[in-house]
Amino acid sequence: MANSSLTQNLGRLKKILASPAGRAFLALALVLLVGAIFNAGGAFFKPGTHRDALRQMSVYGILACGLTPVIIAGGIDLAVGSLLALVAVVCARMAIHWSYPGFLAVAAGLLAGTACGSISGLITARLRVQPFIATLAMMVFARGLAKYASGGMKVSTAILGADGSYHYVEVPALFRALDHRILGGNVSVVTLVFAVCIAMAWLLMSRHQCGRYIYAIGGNEEASRLSGVPVVGIKTLVYAFSGMCAAVAGICQAAQEQQGDPEAGAGYELIAIAMVVIGGTSLMGGRGGIGLTFLGVLTIGYLDKILSINAVPEAGRLVLTGIIIIIAVLTQRRQRA
Amino acid sequence: MPSKFKTLVTNLVAAITVIGFAGCGKQETSPTPGASSTSGSQFIIGMCQCNLGEPWRVQMNADLQAAAAKHPELKLICKDAQNDTLQQRAQIEEFVSAKVNLLIVSPKEAQPLTEPVAHAIEAGIPVIVLDRRLMGDKYTCFIGADNQKIGKAAGEWIVKALGGKGNVVELMGLQTSTPGQDRHSGFMAGIAGSEIKIIFSADMKWLEPDARNEMESALARFDKIDLVYAHNDDGAHGAYLAAKAAGREKQVKFVGIDALPQEGVVYIQQGLLDATFQYPTGGAEAIDTAWKILHRETVPKEIVLGTRLFDRSNVAQGGVELK
Amino acid sequence: MKFPQPAPNAPQPPLLRMTGIGKQFGGIKVLEGVQFEVRAGEAHVLAGENGAGKSTLIKILGGIYREFAGRIELEGREERPKSPLHASELGIAIIHQELSLIGPMSVADNIFLGRLPARAGFVDRAVQEKQAAYWVQQLGLDLDVRQPVEQFPIAVQQLIEIAKALSQKARIIVMDEPTSALNAPEVHKLFGLIEALKRQACGIVYISHKMQEIERIADRITVLRDGRWIGTASAAELSAPKLIQWMVGREVSEQSPRHASHPGRELFRGENLSVFPRGRSRRPAVQDLSICVQSGEILGLGGLQGSGASELFLGLFGAYGPAVRGSVYLDGEKVELNSPRQAIQAGVALLTNDRKATGLVLPLSVIANATLADLSRLARRGWRCPNEERLAAETTTSSLRLRAASLDQPVGLLSGGNQQKVAIAKWLQVRPKLLLLDEPTRGIDVGAKQEIYQLMNEWTAQGIAIMLITSELPELLTLSDRILVLHRGRSTAEFSRAQATPERIMAAAMGSGSVSSCVKSNN
Repeated sequence: MANSSLTQNLGRLKKILASPAGRAFLALALVLLVGAIFNAGGAFFKPGTHRDALRQMSVYGILACGLTPVIIAGGIDLAVGSLLALVAVVCARMAIHWSYPGFLAVAAGLLAGTACGSISGLITARLRVQPFIATLAMMVFARGLAKYASGGMKVSTAILGADGSYHYVEVPALFRALDHRILGGNVSVVTLVFAVCIAMAWLLMSRHQCGRYIYAIGGNEEASRLSGVPVVGIKTLVYAFSGMCAAVAGICQAAQEQQGDPEAGAGYELIAIAMVVIGGTSLMGGRGGIGLTFLGVLTIGYLDKILSINAVPEAGRLVLTGIIIIIAVLTQRRQRA
Repeated sequence: MPSKFKTLVTNLVAAITVIGFAGCGKQETSPTPGASSTSGSQFIIGMCQCNLGEPWRVQMNADLQAAAAKHPELKLICKDAQNDTLQQRAQIEEFVSAKVNLLIVSPKEAQPLTEPVAHAIEAGIPVIVLDRRLMGDKYTCFIGADNQKIGKAAGEWIVKALGGKGNVVELMGLQTSTPGQDRHSGFMAGIAGSEIKIIFSADMKWLEPDARNEMESALARFDKIDLVYAHNDDGAHGAYLAAKAAGREKQVKFVGIDALPQEGVVYIQQGLLDATFQYPTGGAEAIDTAWKILHRETVPKEIVLGTRLFDRSNVAQGGVELK
Repeated sequence: MKFPQPAPNAPQPPLLRMTGIGKQFGGIKVLEGVQFEVRAGEAHVLAGENGAGKSTLIKILGGIYREFAGRIELEGREERPKSPLHASELGIAIIHQELSLIGPMSVADNIFLGRLPARAGFVDRAVQEKQAAYWVQQLGLDLDVRQPVEQFPIAVQQLIEIAKALSQKARIIVMDEPTSALNAPEVHKLFGLIEALKRQACGIVYISHKMQEIERIADRITVLRDGRWIGTASAAELSAPKLIQWMVGREVSEQSPRHASHPGRELFRGENLSVFPRGRSRRPAVQDLSICVQSGEILGLGGLQGSGASELFLGLFGAYGPAVRGSVYLDGEKVELNSPRQAIQAGVALLTNDRKATGLVLPLSVIANATLADLSRLARRGWRCPNEERLAAETTTSSLRLRAASLDQPVGLLSGGNQQKVAIAKWLQVRPKLLLLDEPTRGIDVGAKQEIYQLMNEWTAQGIAIMLITSELPELLTLSDRILVLHRGRSTAEFSRAQATPERIMAAAMGSGSVSSCVKSNN
């Protein structure tokens, strides 16, 4: 009697673990376990460490939110790192140098990011250029635009006067508000922004008809087209959404650096893609979800933090992170077969 | 109709890509007003910068042009190689065939650019090499700073500031690059013999967000941090912001390197950093040396630039020169 | 390659003799007891409907299927081709319908693929090009063998394939529907070539379903039906009607319920339709077709491969974009359907002939697939209503008697028959006026087929107009109220149910006749 319920429960556990969410949880749990063991003299258990880890992963996580619909639709967006920089520069210019109110700077930044994303989307969907190429071109273009708009220097609170000397202004309220801690100093505002982005992306993918269309296109584009799905429109939408998330990330980045750095975000797109993939969303498209991405962000984010508090040297970090990414992807693959 | 549209936008995409690559840095900068030519002895100086992506190099070009503006008989033409060795090589050869009077080069890499510079020398054009060395000795003059000396100076300042002992966090620049290694080894030499302890060190790759993340880890682990030594001002700034968020910025001193007027020096003025050490661009010295060469004076083969210390006590006076 | 010379007065064994050939996949027998023989210097036509077993037989000969029952003899010697390379070493060359040339590679490289003339491992380019040029010239072609093959038109590519076969010193050359992409003068040239090959004592196996060609080229004809050998006769002895009878002659059983007609008003009319799937500059798949369907009626489209029926459906559904010339009227109103979305909104639905590739999104659930075409209507201002979707899916799938463990499971896990039901459910959901069904019972077991026939009766009773493509003649005959036969994009015959017989349909499908359908009826 007891035996059969045990085997029943084990069977159920096996089924849960075999599901994508289960495997993502498992990966995260393992990383947290490693952190608990290598806790750097108790530092891992301090609430401040977790708050900081969440703050640290938020910008990448916001990028991953925008990338998930794109990847599920069967595409890829390499431009998000450059768009982050572009919007950081635009926002910093408006908020610091021209002293526009915060909401205008945010609106301009969001507009810039969404516009660039839409262009990538149109080039991919209407002109049938491969997403890799189209977004690579946008990546280069946006980076150039960022450098042009910033004059090659960081847009900071130090402003060049006519006589060649620098005077400095106050950090704008927008930045102060974003780079702030609330709830008794336990949660960073950017973490909340990340949470909002997760929620928005989740609503889009799970509750809106566009989300269903996105899954359909990623699963079988031709069958979707022949079922009346507006393929061109949806593809453009996902890239625009990705651009918008990159813009949000750029604004948060600028706030946390208190400057708009045209070199910011270099390489961020690959980390964000890794987060999406580790969560369990397939690069082939048609499968995955925002919840999985959230777990993937936590996994890589915490891994980073654990390596950092243990002062693991750079070479070791790169090797370990690479190995863990491969292992995570392999365990996903085995389950599918 | 559709195919026409397709061609149009394909061209647009191509144009975007080309502009994008071009936008990675300014192409040519026109000479500053005041250096306009009058007939007579006018000297044309060609300047080949390896990239204008780093603010420090933008500063170098700014310094060069400011210095050149003071000499009306010097006309400075700047080219940007966009961090492409082959492009830099081509630009040097262009200057040589244009028969400029003098060449200033800040090379991306030593090995591939040694020969084009040697050709320039053989063609009778004097060459000043800035900041990064070439191989061999086929150039007229090398002007550069010494990161090891700067690191040592920082170390010595830190020993003095902490009274010989204390807990220090070192946030390092890319340890696979020479400046990062030199700023570290110099620092270690500077604090040798004291009771300064490096309790936490991490490679923040010159990036501010990374420095901030590492500093947060350090703050989580250690209750007592006396000073943060970052290999550049961006890193020091990031560390400062981390400490400020934790409410511990008053307990920690912050030391950086580079002292760009709009970054490091401003941070000192604002009271964010305690000290920074200038990594001089050598722009002014290059023009000076160029002027001497063009007026047939002898110049040393190597000019090692000193550094300037900026701290709260002397920032208003523009820092203090250190030998 | 030298065959051993037989003794002077002994009867010459045929170039190829296949006896007792059988092949099964799983438990399904696709060939049984087939015999086939080719003599040197003859052009032997292999004929049969779709699914008769012709390609399977050829694949066995070509070494693609290694396991088979029976015996193959080449000039009296028993051989079993173990691979395509082995088959070509034995002197067998197969020119498939889908050309096997590699586009970006040069003509010379293609001709010598797998047999590169080499010296110590290094390819001797000069030798290769010279030999390739020689073979190409034999076919009357004058081209630069260094150019990539994809630059040349299909007709030339086909000749390059033949050159490849010749360079392999093949004695048996199989041509599978070689004229599908050729125009009349090119066909003439090809036939001249076949004559030349015959004179060189090669044996040609020619697969075609075009009556005109068979009459022109065949020395002997072998007919297969349902995987069995029906007969072999010389072309002189086998008249066209007899050939057709061999191809289709079977008892048309009365098992399936005869469709009860409910014809009503004219729902769909197409006048002078031409469909250009690959753009206006290429050949159209359908030319000058006039067609009409009434509500409650099932119009069956008969035809063999290349007839253009599937392309007609895709064109009408807007899948090729604005690629249809001519006028289309739906329910009396002129419409232009330039995208599937427009077609669905106008009340047209298309069930494609390949549910896995173009009909269903396999990773998505049954509910998701069943509601995919109607999602905007089921949603509230863009926000999905999962309850409404589930309800809709339950309704449509239960009316189809779908058997699935749960409606939330991915359709990829369902059986073929159930998958097809989900695809059908998707189209029921949009309540179409005109339903285009392309091979609706392909790959489905008998029980499910019967259910679908039953459903088609119900749909026509509701007033839906149906156009049906099916390659199974009995199905076509049972279900259709009227049958329109297509051949190479044009209509060749139209039959009412009473007039239709398998032989007449097959004759029309093979090219005889031409008819303008849809005399304007007075409604």
